[in-house]
Amino acid sequence: MNAAPLLLGYAGAVGFLAPRLLLRSAWPYRAPTLAVTSWLALSASFTVAVGLAVYQLASPTEHLHANLVDLLHSCGLTTDTAAPDPTAAARLAVALPAFVVLLVFGSFLFEVLSGRRTRSRHRKVLDLVGRRSPRLDATVLEHDHPAAYCLPGHRPRVVVSAGALRLLSPGQLDAVLAHERAHIAGRHHLALAAGTAFARVFGPLPLARHGRQQTAVLLEMIADDRALHRQPREVLAAAMYGMAAGAAPAGAFAVGGPTALVRLRRILAPQRRPHAVLRVSVAVAAVTVPLVPLLLGCVHVIG
Amino acid sequence: MRRLGELETEIMDRLWRWQRPATVREIVDDINKHRPLAYTTVNTVAAILYNKGWLLRGKQGRAWVYAPVRTREQYSAALMEEALGASEDRPVALAHFVRQMSPEEVGALREALAAAERRDSR
Repeated sequence: MNAAPLLLGYAGAVGFLAPRLLLRSAWPYRAPTLAVTSWLALSASFTVAVGLAVYQLASPTEHLHANLVDLLHSCGLTTDTAAPDPTAAARLAVALPAFVVLLVFGSFLFEVLSGRRTRSRHRKVLDLVGRRSPRLDATVLEHDHPAAYCLPGHRPRVVVSAGALRLLSPGQLDAVLAHERAHIAGRHHLALAAGTAFARVFGPLPLARHGRQQTAVLLEMIADDRALHRQPREVLAAAMYGMAAGAAPAGAFAVGGPTALVRLRRILAPQRRPHAVLRVSVAVAAVTVPLVPLLLGCVHVIG
Repeated sequence: MRRLGELETEIMDRLWRWQRPATVREIVDDINKHRPLAYTTVNTVAAILYNKGWLLRGKQGRAWVYAPVRTREQYSAALMEEALGASEDRPVALAHFVRQMSPEEVGALREALAAAERRDSR
């Protein structure tokens, strides 16, 4: 028995049904770290499943005609080659799945490296133009628009504009800086790069599309939670509102979606973590899910 | 020994603050109020800044006169635009604290804040 249909069915479930399930659940926003892990684990699982399915389809077994050639026939394609060269087929069987996995991995590497390059260029100018504030442990930019951002990774920087300093109370500023530092300390840029890389390879797939977007939102929530360790929720909420409302809408800067509202409501509503049983089961699932395709792939050996 | 970047910052800081072209001599004298530093060092670093495109220069007698290409505010604005810019595709910053919002969205935020205050005061 060939495991390809099983693997493809599994990939379909992970790629189409799992994201719908995650989006409908209430727990991801209450346990954002677990949720980010889940999205990334599903993406990894999908990649492995597709890679193994391709391997099974291209494998030069006695069932070759029942696999690849039949699939091509059923897709309306005809193959003139009657008997493929076995060594070439064997090479193809290894090269194709390796290509799938390397494509995702290479895309991740590309995201990480290109991100590092743009940030390093930005940081060089920033170090000359901005003023270092040892008291805030941040770089202050002379600009009226209230803003705060961070450059994560190698030699990280937290940046606040002079406009933000004028607008925020000391407590609010502390919350904003804690939020940005949480991004740096948690190496959130790597999780974001993974989500983006997966989305670049499997663009329109619901898992890729929602995964990338949700990862970005969830990372903000994780940083919000870190800030709430230092400041009361009213203070963080007021900082968010002040920064969002304090700026006159102008063309130069990107306009955000409903993310801020979702975050603000979440900050203001007293949070209850999901039940321990749910948390543990999700964590176990997140660890196991990337291994499931390997088990499914073994079916043809056993069967 | 201080790093090159710090000396670059010191030179740019002065030229931006004075808001006028200055000779290397003037910059060295001002730095020497705080700490000793050789004329040649400042001269070299000013030339580096010129080559990097940060400074303009012209001869005045035998000495070079330097001036910033753009103001500090102009550079800051360019950085902010890059960090908060619309490019979702290749963001420089990871994300900024909160994105700019439409007036309707700001209204919804205010509504949520007010509702929380009412809840708390009850």
